[in-house]
Amino acid sequence: MLHDVSIPYPGLSGCPDYETLDTRTLLARALADPALGRCALVSSFGAESVVLLHLISRIKPDLPILFIDTELLFAETLRYQKSLARLLGLSNVQIIRAHPRDLSQTDPHNRLHISDPDSCCNLRKVQPLQRALQSFDTWISGRKRYQGGLRASLPLFEKDGEKHLKINPLANWSAQDIHDYIEQNNLPRHPLLEKGYHSIGCKPCTRPASGRTGRWSGQNKTECGIHLRNGRVVSRPAAAVLVRDGGFVVKDQQSETAALDLPGDTALQDLPADLHNHSMIRITFSNFADGRGFTLARDLRRRGYRGCLRACGPLLADQYSMIRRVGFDEVEIPAEHARRQPERLWQARANWQAYDYQSRLQGWTRGRQHHI
Amino acid sequence: MSRPFVRSILSANDLLTGRVVYLTNTDGWTNDIRRAVVFDDKAEAIARLAWAEAQTHQVIAPVLAPVRGAAPFPTSNRDRLRATGPFSLAGKPAQETPSARPSETPHV
Amino acid sequence: MYEYNAFDQGFLTQRLKQFRAQVAQRLNGALSEEEFKPLRLMNGLYLQLHAYMLRVAIPYGTLSASQMRALADISERWDRGYGHFTTRQNIQFNWISLADTPDILDALAKAGLHAVQTSGNTIRNVTADPFAGAAADEVEDPRPLAEMIRQWSTDHPEFQFLPRKFKIAVTGSPKDRAITRAHDIGLRILRNDSGKVGIEISIGGGLGRTPILGQVLAPFVPKSDILPMLEAILSVYNQLGRRDNKYKARLKIALQELGMANLRESVLVKFQQTRREFSGGDQSFLAEVEHHFALPPAKQQSLTPYQNAMRKDHALSRWVQTNTRQHKYADYVSVTISLKTPGAVPGDATASQMRLMASLSDRFSLSELRVTQAQNILLPHVHKADLPDLFQALQKENLSSGNIGLVSDITACPGLDYCALATARAIPVAQEIALRFQALNLEHEIGPLEIKISGCINACGHHHLGHIGILGLERGGVETYQITLGGNGLKPTTLGERTGPGFSADEILPAIERLLLGYLKQRTNRAESFIDCYRRLGPLPFRAMLYPNSENEKGPEHAA
Repeated sequence: MLHDVSIPYPGLSGCPDYETLDTRTLLARALADPALGRCALVSSFGAESVVLLHLISRIKPDLPILFIDTELLFAETLRYQKSLARLLGLSNVQIIRAHPRDLSQTDPHNRLHISDPDSCCNLRKVQPLQRALQSFDTWISGRKRYQGGLRASLPLFEKDGEKHLKINPLANWSAQDIHDYIEQNNLPRHPLLEKGYHSIGCKPCTRPASGRTGRWSGQNKTECGIHLRNGRVVSRPAAAVLVRDGGFVVKDQQSETAALDLPGDTALQDLPADLHNHSMIRITFSNFADGRGFTLARDLRRRGYRGCLRACGPLLADQYSMIRRVGFDEVEIPAEHARRQPERLWQARANWQAYDYQSRLQGWTRGRQHHI
Repeated sequence: MSRPFVRSILSANDLLTGRVVYLTNTDGWTNDIRRAVVFDDKAEAIARLAWAEAQTHQVIAPVLAPVRGAAPFPTSNRDRLRATGPFSLAGKPAQETPSARPSETPHV
Repeated sequence: MYEYNAFDQGFLTQRLKQFRAQVAQRLNGALSEEEFKPLRLMNGLYLQLHAYMLRVAIPYGTLSASQMRALADISERWDRGYGHFTTRQNIQFNWISLADTPDILDALAKAGLHAVQTSGNTIRNVTADPFAGAAADEVEDPRPLAEMIRQWSTDHPEFQFLPRKFKIAVTGSPKDRAITRAHDIGLRILRNDSGKVGIEISIGGGLGRTPILGQVLAPFVPKSDILPMLEAILSVYNQLGRRDNKYKARLKIALQELGMANLRESVLVKFQQTRREFSGGDQSFLAEVEHHFALPPAKQQSLTPYQNAMRKDHALSRWVQTNTRQHKYADYVSVTISLKTPGAVPGDATASQMRLMASLSDRFSLSELRVTQAQNILLPHVHKADLPDLFQALQKENLSSGNIGLVSDITACPGLDYCALATARAIPVAQEIALRFQALNLEHEIGPLEIKISGCINACGHHHLGHIGILGLERGGVETYQITLGGNGLKPTTLGERTGPGFSADEILPAIERLLLGYLKQRTNRAESFIDCYRRLGPLPFRAMLYPNSENEKGPEHAA
């Protein structure tokens, strides 16, 4: 049960200025304060996690500790988590995972992290954590101001959505503070630190590098999203992209009101009688390997359809010349798809009329040189 | 229906060369089967397989291969052949000999 | 033979550029493995047990000497110095790396070779009678038609993502050495009673786990209707072929499920449309391309030295008897070079063997070679006067086995030694059978016999078509070999019959021995071949030879 709080949290009762408290006292008071309701620590058991885990273990070793297993973690992290929990006597580590159904639906081949790391973090970290946090009122994280980026002005206490309070007890710790604490208390460090890792997340998205620059290196991403407040990672469906010979074009919703939509596997006998009345027919490919849409397009042209034929779906740039040759005028691809198959890949296939064996055979005349 | 888990190694094909590689205990890939990490725990094996499937920039077609013994020795014919390469009847690598028995007289 | 012009070369150059880009995109993540796989397959690159395998097309099995030399060079530079000739007249290199593949395709293109559409759900290499253009029994050389179909099917925009692979074969001889009835589309060139030439189209044949012989779609079609008919058949298949189950996606299944009447009707309706798109250009092409395949006049040379040599040299005359076939020129023969020296890997040739065969074809066969569906190499046009020198020269590289069509001329797929789909090893079984009967000195005694071995149910070894077929499976982690009998590739194409439970790897050779020794006892005389004997006696006596301790073939399983 949580009293109404505002940012920053003004009152640990009887202690207005807790920025001056030492971290251990702060934590001890917070964990004993009924106003904060049910508390949990969220720990990644990563590069610096041992500090906060050690602090907690000296105050309340049976505090629920939420450990998110994305199922893409380093083996070293999994082993470290087990051995550290045992060493520190942390008796209430709860392992949080995505629901297998969600995984098989959204990321069945474990490659979402390549095409859309935000969605992968959302699937494997953000959503599972949100579900788990429903049982708690306050959660504790190990973020620090010195880590920079979005964390540079981190408060000790902050409101997290409508229902939660978040404590960042190490907010004003420096890197040196962390180092000294570990040395003085002789704490075991994460084994990958020896190998040049400084920040440790999931295996596919972590490279050895200093600070957090090894995370999602080469991408624009610096946070997995579990700390982003309005900030739940929301995938906003971006506008689909049109591809023509000249390149990418933005869709104009107006021009498509009279379009007829046909799935690629539409049987010939199921074609509507009035198809010639539509200025546009959109043929949908459920996946790029289902070639029926190519035959459908050809059949429509054979029936004399003169309007705009559009191929819709996750088609590959390498299919562009086939698409054009069977009679499509353009392609519509999802925005996410366009990120992986950017404009220049499609442009590379814009010369779809070159080396067309079939037309050449049909137009063959004796004695003529058919070099092109 | 689940079968009891047999201790296994994890093999795959290297993306660039196509050659058979095995997962080591430091999450690296080797073509020496003796350095393959052996999984006794089913959950761990499955977790590592899932991880390997995500390493699409390095390997393709990862599979768990049951083994026995210290070597470790793969129990299936396929995995054994992947470890040793193809062999002709005479026990020599097939590609060395167009004929296992060179002949002096023309064959009739 | 057909020679590439600037268009063909330009197409390959562009294709290669596209493939290089695809590989780069795979490596940088723009293409996932799932997206890259069909693109890589379309360019002939498989992942096998040990490495990538590149399957190079040899269109309708015809190869020039310089192309053979190029294959030798490639095998040495980027592989392990050998290649494997397949039952679909292609060549496979087994130790390829993805990183090298663009360079290999470049080297192939310079020699007028490619790996386009040798894999994937596309129209595959069009195969033909390996004796095309040479055989005395031919109505017409099928290769101009095959070349036209090759070009028509190359990069066809509508048919790159079919429900499954698609195989076409063409023959110009009534014997049908192209096994057209075992293909999705089979074309037989015929002459009718008034002497006109037409083509019989059969569809829906295929081996594999459900072997089915094709049925006649149209009995006598003019050449001008061939491409429109192919368009119609492929278009109907593309729409109606199943996509829910990989094992039920071939045209043969669609034919079984829909029935010939329905399928024929759908094809003919579509044909009404496709025919309008052809206005004779393809026929002009056909007329022009026929010149590429014309045979020069026969050379005049005395046969006396050859006849003398045949009398004196027993080995030569034996080899000529087994390895040569009648040619349409009276003084010529077609010579089969055996890649089945007992103990060798069937169908494999080293780089130096390839180079020797190339130079011999330059000397003796108008620089032309063929690949046969039995994994041997043919020199199609050899003057008999040259046979003694040819035979002599072949001995240098162990290519002079006189065993064509005999027990040791075994067709075997690469099997579990190489192939990721295989369930059992095929090569060692072939080797031990060949060596055994050579050691027993029974090859000629047994006479004509076709043994075919497949290392899995996909039947790339064509075991269904063997007089004796051997299918290698796996039961409980152990290899087990099932025997079929009575199959035949030549017309009338027949599928072999299962005999009973499988034999272990240790038992298969003794079983074959019992079978052949039993045949020797049962045949009426030397003139009755194994297959004739089987047809006369039926399966029961042969099953008794295989399973001597059982009442019938339903006896105890021979599982190890």
